[in-house]
Amino acid sequence: MSAILEVRRISHRFGGLHVLRDVNFSVAEGSVTGLIGPNGAGKSTLFNIISGFLRPTDGDVIDSGQSITNLSIHDRSYLGLLRTFQTPQVFGNLTVRENLIAGCYKEGRTGVIAGLFKLPAVRKEFAEGARLADQACAAFGLEAVSNQLAGSLPAGKQRLVELARAAISRPRLMCLDEPSSGLSADEVAQLMLILRHLNETGITILLVSHDMQVMAISSVTHVLYFGEIIATGSMSELQADPRVREAYLGA
Amino acid sequence: MSASPTFSRRLLPWAGIGILVLAWAVVPFIVGRSIVDILVFTALYTIAGLGVAFLLGQCGIVSLAQSVFFGIGAYSTAYGLTAFKMPAVVAMLVGVAISGSIAAAVGFPVLRLSGYFLALATLALAIIGHVLFLEWEWLTGGTLGIGGIAPISFYGYPLNTPFRFYYLVWPIVVVVIWLHYNLLRSRTGIAMQAMRDAPSAAAVIGVSIAHLKVKVFVLSAVLGSFAGSLFAHYVSFVSVDSFGVDKAITFLLIAVLGGVRSIAGIVLGALFVTAAPHWLSKFGDVHALLFAVLLIVAVIFLPGGFGGAIAQMWRRLGGESRVAEILGSVRRP
Repeated sequence: MSAILEVRRISHRFGGLHVLRDVNFSVAEGSVTGLIGPNGAGKSTLFNIISGFLRPTDGDVIDSGQSITNLSIHDRSYLGLLRTFQTPQVFGNLTVRENLIAGCYKEGRTGVIAGLFKLPAVRKEFAEGARLADQACAAFGLEAVSNQLAGSLPAGKQRLVELARAAISRPRLMCLDEPSSGLSADEVAQLMLILRHLNETGITILLVSHDMQVMAISSVTHVLYFGEIIATGSMSELQADPRVREAYLGA
Repeated sequence: MSASPTFSRRLLPWAGIGILVLAWAVVPFIVGRSIVDILVFTALYTIAGLGVAFLLGQCGIVSLAQSVFFGIGAYSTAYGLTAFKMPAVVAMLVGVAISGSIAAAVGFPVLRLSGYFLALATLALAIIGHVLFLEWEWLTGGTLGIGGIAPISFYGYPLNTPFRFYYLVWPIVVVVIWLHYNLLRSRTGIAMQAMRDAPSAAAVIGVSIAHLKVKVFVLSAVLGSFAGSLFAHYVSFVSVDSFGVDKAITFLLIAVLGGVRSIAGIVLGALFVTAAPHWLSKFGDVHALLFAVLLIVAVIFLPGGFGGAIAQMWRRLGGESRVAEILGSVRRP
């Protein structure tokens, strides 16, 4: 299995604070790779560097052999690298269906002028987006709320909207930031089923969480502790690892 | 027979629109010249105000720079017609091109700002624009202005009275509103609304935030310039007094009063800022104060702007919610 994403010697400082030191790891194509660590370990910083929200002080992010360290967020999106947010970021004043149509943005080609005059290409594009959106609504169990404003939904549903919106553009790699935060136990179970399904359809998943339960679906997990990767392995291996136990339990 | 009450309830709002159109058509025959004049200004300000409302409602950008683009349009028409004997459409397009180019050039650095800083930067643009309009006498005529701008004519029929201009400018408003609505239902429009609601997530789905903001700013400037050109034709004389910061505030006021995401509300907002000062001027020197009081009352009692009020009324009359959306664009759950 080749690496879809490689993090090479990433270091990051906020002023004098070393948040990440020389972090190396890779995400194998087709895998569900986990990244765990206690609060303050540097997970979010690393995640923001991978998704383009932050430039690292040092090091490189490599996508299929090509450096994307300095690429903008939307350019990474065109490469098939999408992320979600710890607090679900939906387009609140658009309906669920329109959120998913927005997810098809990259498939479209029409510009402002075509839009103003509602040229046939715009209608066609919109119809195609709507078709994909309806499919995704069905797949993610969002049919009942498809015409509601996304901002009016509870957190669990907003999370689904965010995932569906990311999945609709068939990304190569989805980076999920604490996908289980704010969800009930039932919703977490549903989330895991969906993630498994997305992975089976060929989407590589990078999962960042401090929630051990969600990590059950990952094949390989890296443990980040005070800015360094201290262990890598399957969850059962990690649970037996004394360094990990120490990091998590302080024992 | 049982279906008929529902049917009539559905038809009622449409009948309302029919009556409105009919009223629009006959109004100039009934009211005096000064009121028709106000209604022409309402239409002109609606076009410019839509540009501001578009920026504010769809992108969350507060722009006080619309007076500059309104001025550029007006001066392009004035100078193009008087100095170069350009056809009206050409002068208008020159204005639109200049405004669009300036908006693009200024937009890239300025639109990186947000919130108050952005509002201040656009205010600075309005002030710089006003100073240049004043200082570049060779082009703008300074305080003396440029007069003798020919009216728009159709096959030798000049639209040189408020009455005649009224029937030109309002259909233009309808076309502009139609274009506006189309855009919102297109790929770019959805991206704009996405950017307004959650900019980070919009970037993740592939929207280039910086580019999109500039595009909307250009579009807004084009509307301002277009309105300015029509204004120059209508009044036949332009001077720097018409393009001050107060005009920029007026345009922003239209957007806010209208309810920034409402299209129909913008028309009422424009009517308010043109008609209210006119009627209040009867009361003499206190008219500015009365206008301020009226503004405060409007903001308190119509938090969703005129657009929100219309949408609510429409729903109460039993109209389709889709139409209420178009009218009011207020879709709070």
